[in-house]
Amino acid sequence: MAGADRDHAYDVVVLGGGVNGAGLARDCAMRGLSVLLLEKQDLACGASGASSGMIHGGIRYMTSDRRVTESASRDAGYIRRIAPHLTFRIPFLLPFATHEEGSRLLDRVAWYATEVYVGTYDLFQPLKGGKPSVRLSADELYRIEPSLRPGLHGAVTLDEWGIDGQRLCLLNALSAAHHGADVRTWTEAESLVREGGRVVAVRFRDAVTGEHGEARAGVVVNATGGWSPRFGRSNGFQVPMRPGKGVHLSLDRRHGNYGIICTAVDGRQMFLMPHEMESIIGTTDDDFFGDPDDLDATADEVEYLVDGAASLVPSIRQARITRAWWGVRTTLFEYGVEEDDLSRDHRILDHAAEGSAGLLSFVGGKLASYRAQSEELADRVVAMLGKGVLPCRTHEVPLPGGDEVPSPAELAARHGIPEPVAARLVFRHGSRAREVLRVADDDPRMKLVLCRDEGILAAEVAWIARHEKVRRLQDLRRRCRLALGGCGGLDCARPAAQIVARELGWDADRLRAELADLLEVGWRERRPVLDGWQLAEEELLRAVHRGLGGL
Amino acid sequence: MPPSTRIECDVLVVGGGMAGATAALAARDGGARVVLVRKAPGSTGLSGGAVSVAQDPGCMPDTPFAARAGVVESARRIAATRPGHPYRLLRDRLDRLWNAVEFATGQMSEVLAPPSGRNRWLLTPFGHAHAAAACHRSMAAGDLAEVRGTLVVCGFEGHLGWDPGLIASGAVRVRALGGPTPRAVLLDLFRWEEGALGRPFDLARLLEAPGAAEEAGRVLRRALQRGDAAAVLPAVLGIDPATRVPERIAAEAGIPVAEILSDLPSVPGLRFHRAIEARLAAAGVEVLQGEVRSGAGPDLPAAVGGREVLARSWVLASGRFVGGGIERRGELRESVLGLPVLASEGPFADPSVRFAARPPASLTLRDSRAPQPLLAAGLRVDDELHPLDAEGRVLHPRIFAAGAVVGGHDPSSDGTGMGVAMFTGWLAGRSAAGRGA
Amino acid sequence: MSKVRSYAWLAWRAAVSHPLRAIGRRGTGEERFLASYAVERLAPTGLDVRAAAQAASACISCGLCESGCAMRAAIPAVRDLGLHAAFRLISKSDEMLARSGDALAACTTCTGCETLCPTGVPITRLVRLLSARSVDLDAPRRAPPGEPR
Repeated sequence: MAGADRDHAYDVVVLGGGVNGAGLARDCAMRGLSVLLLEKQDLACGASGASSGMIHGGIRYMTSDRRVTESASRDAGYIRRIAPHLTFRIPFLLPFATHEEGSRLLDRVAWYATEVYVGTYDLFQPLKGGKPSVRLSADELYRIEPSLRPGLHGAVTLDEWGIDGQRLCLLNALSAAHHGADVRTWTEAESLVREGGRVVAVRFRDAVTGEHGEARAGVVVNATGGWSPRFGRSNGFQVPMRPGKGVHLSLDRRHGNYGIICTAVDGRQMFLMPHEMESIIGTTDDDFFGDPDDLDATADEVEYLVDGAASLVPSIRQARITRAWWGVRTTLFEYGVEEDDLSRDHRILDHAAEGSAGLLSFVGGKLASYRAQSEELADRVVAMLGKGVLPCRTHEVPLPGGDEVPSPAELAARHGIPEPVAARLVFRHGSRAREVLRVADDDPRMKLVLCRDEGILAAEVAWIARHEKVRRLQDLRRRCRLALGGCGGLDCARPAAQIVARELGWDADRLRAELADLLEVGWRERRPVLDGWQLAEEELLRAVHRGLGGL
Repeated sequence: MPPSTRIECDVLVVGGGMAGATAALAARDGGARVVLVRKAPGSTGLSGGAVSVAQDPGCMPDTPFAARAGVVESARRIAATRPGHPYRLLRDRLDRLWNAVEFATGQMSEVLAPPSGRNRWLLTPFGHAHAAAACHRSMAAGDLAEVRGTLVVCGFEGHLGWDPGLIASGAVRVRALGGPTPRAVLLDLFRWEEGALGRPFDLARLLEAPGAAEEAGRVLRRALQRGDAAAVLPAVLGIDPATRVPERIAAEAGIPVAEILSDLPSVPGLRFHRAIEARLAAAGVEVLQGEVRSGAGPDLPAAVGGREVLARSWVLASGRFVGGGIERRGELRESVLGLPVLASEGPFADPSVRFAARPPASLTLRDSRAPQPLLAAGLRVDDELHPLDAEGRVLHPRIFAAGAVVGGHDPSSDGTGMGVAMFTGWLAGRSAAGRGA
Repeated sequence: MSKVRSYAWLAWRAAVSHPLRAIGRRGTGEERFLASYAVERLAPTGLDVRAAAQAASACISCGLCESGCAMRAAIPAVRDLGLHAAFRLISKSDEMLARSGDALAACTTCTGCETLCPTGVPITRLVRLLSARSVDLDAPRRAPPGEPR
């Protein structure tokens, strides 16, 4: 077949560049296996990139098995250890609300139970560097969070970690590549090749170049998440799951420093929480059996989320919503259960009985446990291959840039850049921020702050284009949040595209096509929430990019 | 309220962008006493230097420049094909479109070059050729349909945000339509030791300084080759036209010099805003800064800042979303008088559809390139520019609407924004002053 | 079976160890909460700050304000960030705000920006308010010498 010279044999071929695929690729590569990772779009384009971005310690498992909570908390601590720069603390408030005036005995018992429950979770907090919970009276609660609606009876607090899920995913893939893995983004696995009831190779197609290739594999791991059922159907195996669509909304800035747990109109728990530079409202959870490539947030999903958040924070209706974003969860299949009660547990399916020996599928799981899940998967792969001598070390070897967190003030002073920009740089790149700034030292023009929403330096764009597996311009949405804010790339998209084009050798036509693609993705996310000033911004954005740019 | 704070006038214009300024100047031209209230520069202050009136909707991408319809004929073709567009509504008066454009550009002649009746083709920072019925004087020499020979597309070494290669490639694409042969050149200017200097306003101020434009001209001259017919530079050639930056560069370089169009932040936008302010003052239009707070319309006092304005006629030229004339806070509404927002583009032009309250996703199309009904939202008006209510009745015989507050067109997808502003502003200003069209 | 054990354990916590834990604690819930988080710049957000944030949300990043800004005279690092970073970066999060004291101090309150803002952001007032909060946020960090990271 065409491109036969590109054929290689790998110990393991991983399908899907979500956090599980990237985590598995890293683990296998670090154990000395040869690995190919295929992702049909960019890393973290699916559920990993659209998750709430939290590394929680599994508080909800304390009722079923406290050992699960313990191991989840310990793993959260490991993620903090390997990527300290990428995590940030989110204190949560769980307000005590009643629908009538005053409180009944039953309410007070329930609140005490909540207090005890969260207080018990405190036993595990040291494993992940969390702070102890406290109980707040109503007066204290209103002093700490004055935007809450009147009539609440106090709260308990809960400490968790947030993370940039997209960069977490990327760093795992970069680490895998550093340990010898081939990581191919924008490369779709088209079909599996079988010989005598065994899957022996994967045929793939590069979406950017159009090239085809085939890779032989000892083991193939299907970690395509929401795409699994479809991929399975067209390749002769079954992946039972109940995909669930989850939508989040982003506000243009942090509403405050504390997350607030709210109850949605249907009684589900949801949240309004600060996350990096913005606040997010999440999330919906509805069965989804459509095409995961063809998703949009609907008007009623937006309204559901705003309503839920406004039930505790009424002023949220005046806030500026910049975008809605969504993904498909891959919860385990159960019949006759509400979406929310579905297990967030995971399972590894072996398809040997379906005539596909050597093929595993990964279903379910959660971002916070990706490392442990990857370790479990890698153990299975190693067992199937009968090789891989090194032990798992993904919990102690830092991810790229995770070995040290430089002081932003010091970097800012040394390199002559604004301190907030240095802080964003350190957040995204950890110790590798120094390498990024070397680009600016070599060419002082690269100190230009391209984006004043995210604090993106020209040097950072160039460095990312060189070192972070960028193949399309829209990859920068996930690398450094380019054109993701309320401004939608109004004044930064074009200069950033020019820098990437220069680094990657794109001609002008390619540059314009990439720019149009980047803007189109942003439009899809802003469309359901165009209101207030965001609508004015859209008018301006359209005048520039569509009117002036002809894009 | 003491009587000294009350102003009585013939025409109150709300909005100080292109539509409002044209309306005020047209009314003033008709002898009316005019007060203009504006809160800030609207989208005109953010414009890139082009006065886009109409481009031929029927022509193919490969139709040569010379074979394309003129501006007024293009507007007629838009009127024939776009049901909700203001040109359609005013189709019986399109013969006056050119009078309006000549009037408005003539009023702004300090900044704007006189229009010729056909479109100029100007390069944008995205490497796109953009049609403009008129443009800033500093841009006229860059008309792709006029330059014969080689067009030198210049960037500055220190100006990171601007890539002459990308822009030149845009010119390459239109060479077959009658455009020049482009050549990209980076001029060794504005390199700074201490870091980046990519901000257009900073560059514009630097070039205004004595000697700076001359130095740029000398650097340009050294880069020139045989056959170079004109040079285009980033739109940073001075904020104040009186500093004559393009002329000074051209004199040193010995070649015609022009700015290309600007995206944001926009030096030409600020230049244009200032020119409008100066022209309004010179014409004797009283300009009040602020918002109309309590105003019910003609013959009733409207509070503006600490003043009270009593006007016989009103012209609403308050813009759309950026200007603030139309806003959406859960529902679409007109912000000054609370008039119903009824007009849009496409299927929602049907008045039986309750347009204003629909969720944004249902008022937009997934393909961002399509005309978007939500972004075309505005007032529905009759052919005399009176705003209409849901039943199609005139709300008040002496309230007129002009510019982007009039709905039915998504200017960024058809390039008619300034044309609609000038045409409706001119008509509304004359009607409000009692002159009719 | 593990479920039964889990509930029994939680019941024991509720009846015995949770009440016991409360005995040894000092300070009110609010004091302990603020002590935990103020050092990490995770301070409460007052309604005045919220109102300012909402006004800043009107920024549509057109950049016109910068043409009227005297901050040009400031040091390069501050100038690079530009004025409208005040609404787009600095005011979005307390961590950014606490690192921006020098940028905000470069404002000469000339109001040249404000008259140019198309959406009417009260820029000078906001900059003054943000400047005051940036000082407040840094106070608890400056007090104790050995802060935890």
